[in-house]
Amino acid sequence: MTGSMLHLSGLDKFYGSIDHGVQAVKNFSMTVEKGEIIALLGSSGCGKTSTLRMIAGFESVSRGQIFIAGREVQNLPPVKRNVAMAFEGYSLYPTVNVRDNIAFALKASRLTGVEVAARVDGVSQMLEITDILDRFPSTISGGQQQRASLARALVRQADLHLLDEPMGQLEPQLRTLLRGRIKHYIKEAGLTAILVTHDQTEANALADKIAVMEEGVLQQYASPSEIKNRPANLFTGTFVGEPPMNVFPANVSIEGGIFRLHLHGGLELSYNESDFAQPVRERMLGYRDVVIGVRPYAVHRAATGAAAIILVNQWLGDQSHIAASFAGKTIVLVEHDRSAGAEGELIFLRVHPSDLHVFDPASGKALSHGKELA
Amino acid sequence: MSLQLKNIKKKFKSDNVIDGVTLSVESGETLVLFGPSGAGKTVLLRLIAGVIEPDLGEIWINGQNMKGVEPEERGIGMAFQNFALFPHMDAAENIAAPLTARRQSSTDITSTVEKIAKLLKIEHVLHHKPKELSNGQKQRTALARALSAEPSVLLLDDPLRNVDAKLRFEMRLELPRLLKDQNATVIYVTQDYKEAMAMGRRIAVMSNHSIQQIGTPADIYLRPANLEIARLFGDPVINLVNVRPESGPDGITVLISGMPITLNGFEAAIGRECILGLRPESLNFVVEHTTGAFAVDIETETLLNEKIVTLAVTRSGEEIMISRPANMPGAVSGRAWLSIMTSNALLFDKLTGNLLTPNLMDAAA
Repeated sequence: MTGSMLHLSGLDKFYGSIDHGVQAVKNFSMTVEKGEIIALLGSSGCGKTSTLRMIAGFESVSRGQIFIAGREVQNLPPVKRNVAMAFEGYSLYPTVNVRDNIAFALKASRLTGVEVAARVDGVSQMLEITDILDRFPSTISGGQQQRASLARALVRQADLHLLDEPMGQLEPQLRTLLRGRIKHYIKEAGLTAILVTHDQTEANALADKIAVMEEGVLQQYASPSEIKNRPANLFTGTFVGEPPMNVFPANVSIEGGIFRLHLHGGLELSYNESDFAQPVRERMLGYRDVVIGVRPYAVHRAATGAAAIILVNQWLGDQSHIAASFAGKTIVLVEHDRSAGAEGELIFLRVHPSDLHVFDPASGKALSHGKELA
Repeated sequence: MSLQLKNIKKKFKSDNVIDGVTLSVESGETLVLFGPSGAGKTVLLRLIAGVIEPDLGEIWINGQNMKGVEPEERGIGMAFQNFALFPHMDAAENIAAPLTARRQSSTDITSTVEKIAKLLKIEHVLHHKPKELSNGQKQRTALARALSAEPSVLLLDDPLRNVDAKLRFEMRLELPRLLKDQNATVIYVTQDYKEAMAMGRRIAVMSNHSIQQIGTPADIYLRPANLEIARLFGDPVINLVNVRPESGPDGITVLISGMPITLNGFEAAIGRECILGLRPESLNFVVEHTTGAFAVDIETETLLNEKIVTLAVTRSGEEIMISRPANMPGAVSGRAWLSIMTSNALLFDKLTGNLLTPNLMDAAA
């Protein structure tokens, strides 16, 4: 608790009364260390924005505690929390130009005029807004306002920087360029930032850790690669990853040293017993019926294997997305070449044992990832 | 039903919003109309639908000039961005509305509605009123209503815009087949380049109120007519480097990061200010200095959906992005060498922004 920059303990948020209201956030606990960038990721209505607004102080806390830099703050007004914010609707001062809007954030600091100007220039260059510094907020576009507001937040030194969909209004080309730069800037300045986004590419690109939320509940809180390689449950597995993870119900059996996953329609994926560690085999056999998950990049075409028929082959410039009819469902595979594969073509699919994710069909909880237990 | 637009012009007050659009869509074809916001895409659809009239030019549907033909007599189905669902009817009744109006039997109507709702994954909300639907569900209900009427011409204005990423991906795979089965002539508007490449055999790229290029996804991605189109397709965005081609041993030589790179052909570009376009996936890390390679300093590496994107800086200070499959080795930090697949390098005239081709200058002009 002390030592960490942010600690959320058992946060609940009800809109309306605790007995009859709608619960937007459920028993949410999380710790953020100094210098970390955290993304709250989820679809609309998952509770991510409510969580951020509670940290900022814009929304009351129904139950639980918030500690910022060791101080308990849930009953303090926003200005007393020492947080810098870029929120939609948390608008720029309309009566001063963009430069002064950004510089205003440094008013309380003891910097000289020259130092303030240098900081404002630095952040403006990073966000490509040097050309609008003399303009007034009402005369610039939505995307420019968003970057000005982001500059005003990032130029400050605060305990926490809270960013709500910071690039939501920007054109995709600018977004790709800026996400790398913003990360670099936050790291150089040693800031601690929490951003809310529904865009997983942005979360992956910017964050050290992603908090995946669904229906008010924190589903997983881990690094992007951990979430990709070891999704905690079916929700995280299928929500994070583009194209989404393929999932199929399967029935497990071992006979004569061959480990088989029986899929719908008589198809099977077969492995040597030794492809999986003993505890993994035992756990899968203990369940019998499981759900297997395979990422589209891990489905490979081979000379033999389980049969599938190509439905669509869509080439997107740097990769091809192939959808095929497989085990009563559609399976998606990704190839990096502009590969052949015509509609109606018969192909054979293989999945390497280390790319196989196995889930409990009842709870959705992960049972194993490749050769290891979940 | 084929569709032809002949030199359509439309002004609102003194602003040209459609500045001479000529376009032809064949019977049963899905043409994707792609472009940034403000390009004029929605206005063009409204003109075709007959909601507004062009100032100049003609619209022909199945060999018939539409001048003076009322919107409801054009045989056009539409799903626009602002949904326009009947608020007092549930989703099923909204989808059935065109069929009810045609007095089809109720069993036929029910089975059509269920079939389309299943395809668009809204069967679980068929008995919800519009106000109980999310934006993505409203949008799919509007799309279902447009499809249920089986119109011969279908205008779809960004129908997946509010749909979440996972469902959008699934729809992107399934919609082309659904539209093909309906045998409708479709204009499909989108701002998402991946959707554009996935949905259409042909894409019309619209920008600044006119059509800039029409072609297959490969034509547009591999030979974009100008810099703007090159930047609109691809993620990460194409790298653009200022160059001034000089005469080389085998065509021309350009300097990147202070290193000479040879491109075949392009002799007419010698001495002109040009911009070299390099797709992030066409740059490869090589172990050390080899011919045709140049040096960069690596700033950051980011893992994006099984793809690693590296941000690097050239010796002349330009930012370059390189992308590679996550299982492919690369360079992590410090100085690295990059080689270019020269067949994928694009050269643009800096002044006009137009693509230059090796033998024929100003191909797009």
